[in-house]
Amino acid sequence: MKITRNEDIFFRKEAETKKEVDELLQDEEADDKGYITLIDSGTMHQLNYLGGRIWELCDGSRNLFGIVDVLSGEFDVDEEDLKSDIEDFIEELMQRGWLQYG
Amino acid sequence: MGKVVAYLKTPLTINWSLSYSCNFSCSHCYSRGSNISEVTTDEIMRVVDKISAAKIPFINFGGGEPLLIKDLLEITKYAVSKNLNVSMNSNGFLLDKNMAIGLKDAGFATVGISIDSAVPEIHDTFRNMKGSFEKATAALQNLRDAGVKTTMSSVISKINHKDFQSFVTIAEKYDVSQLFLHNFKCTGKGFDNREEFDLSPEEWKEFYIEALAYKNSNKDIDISFDDPVMAHVDGFDRNALVKGSTCGKVSLHIRPNGDITPCGFIDIVIGNIITDDIKDIWNNSEVLGKMRNKTPQGKCTSCASYEECVGGCTARSLALTGDINNPDPHCWV
Ligand code: SF4
Ligand code: SF4
Repeated sequence: MKITRNEDIFFRKEAETKKEVDELLQDEEADDKGYITLIDSGTMHQLNYLGGRIWELCDGSRNLFGIVDVLSGEFDVDEEDLKSDIEDFIEELMQRGWLQYG
Repeated sequence: MGKVVAYLKTPLTINWSLSYSCNFSCSHCYSRGSNISEVTTDEIMRVVDKISAAKIPFINFGGGEPLLIKDLLEITKYAVSKNLNVSMNSNGFLLDKNMAIGLKDAGFATVGISIDSAVPEIHDTFRNMKGSFEKATAALQNLRDAGVKTTMSSVISKINHKDFQSFVTIAEKYDVSQLFLHNFKCTGKGFDNREEFDLSPEEWKEFYIEALAYKNSNKDIDISFDDPVMAHVDGFDRNALVKGSTCGKVSLHIRPNGDITPCGFIDIVIGNIITDDIKDIWNNSEVLGKMRNKTPQGKCTSCASYEECVGGCTARSLALTGDINNPDPHCWV
């Protein structure tokens, strides 16, 4: 099933911040540094780097496997581990109502 | 804190007073008494372009009373066409059924109505306007009928601090999505009338302990506070990304003449939206820098809540002590 973002959750991609983090990532671990800001009923949240990438890919055109497929090309980690991280993240955001199927 | 500020390259919200004109004269108002020129509708449209180009997603119209702005609906339609999320705060007096439909059609995401007491006579006296309570609740009804999401704002003061639960009753009656219990700001008439209406630190303490416990055990209604001093109360959510006052860290305020201030309650002009680059101000203003990097003073230096509270409301410290770094005068610690 395809995964989409809840349209009531506003988000902004901090493009310049992403550039800075991408540069940092070339030589150090910076995956706690995010670049996607979410606002849910006036409260601001920030996703970590991987979470941000997943969020961007949840545009309704991909299912879980589609997302894993794209990200396994970007992250140099074991594909099974990556899949389980992505699954956990999506499940958590579904519970919060930020992501949904369809 | 520096982290979040370095992370947001432009604000998330612009609180925009298009005019300070108002049909009311409330006892706590920060803007009554200000005489200031106003930019033209054409200029307002260019400011909307600027805000949109800076990828700032939220505009909240305040004032003054936004419904007195003759081109409000047109301005809002234009902002919505630029993908901005527009809301406003109104006293509700002019918000009849037709206006509610107009606001819906213009694309308002939410409309906030101010109610300062659940007792009509007390609300009317505080707001110096007979019949205003009835009009404010009618406004909530009209907005709901028109399908506009509403919020409700109540300024906590001597007239209502022991009775805040009655605001919840009103909010529930009209399906209000969020209830804001604002702390009393000492700017404008709020400064002149502070002795009569502002609570003592002890009273703030009592109010926040009770109100936070109420919020945490009544999840059906979304109650919001905007007072950093609350960080000292058990049960305070310590996960907020932005610590202390949010003005100058996620939001800025624009005056009717285009002047930019960190928030509506701070009288320091840091630029002008017509002539200056908003990103440049956001990232380079010395005043914003000082507000984002406060230095603890007095009792704040040894306070366990400093990391969350950051000295409390910057506007209030400045208004009442003359120094943003001083402990918030509402603080009971
Ligand atoms: S608080 Fe609002 S409604 Fe009251 S006088 Fe000021 S601008 Fe007008
Ligand atoms: S002492 Fe300072 S930091 Fe602590 S709660 Fe009071 S104002 Fe906030």
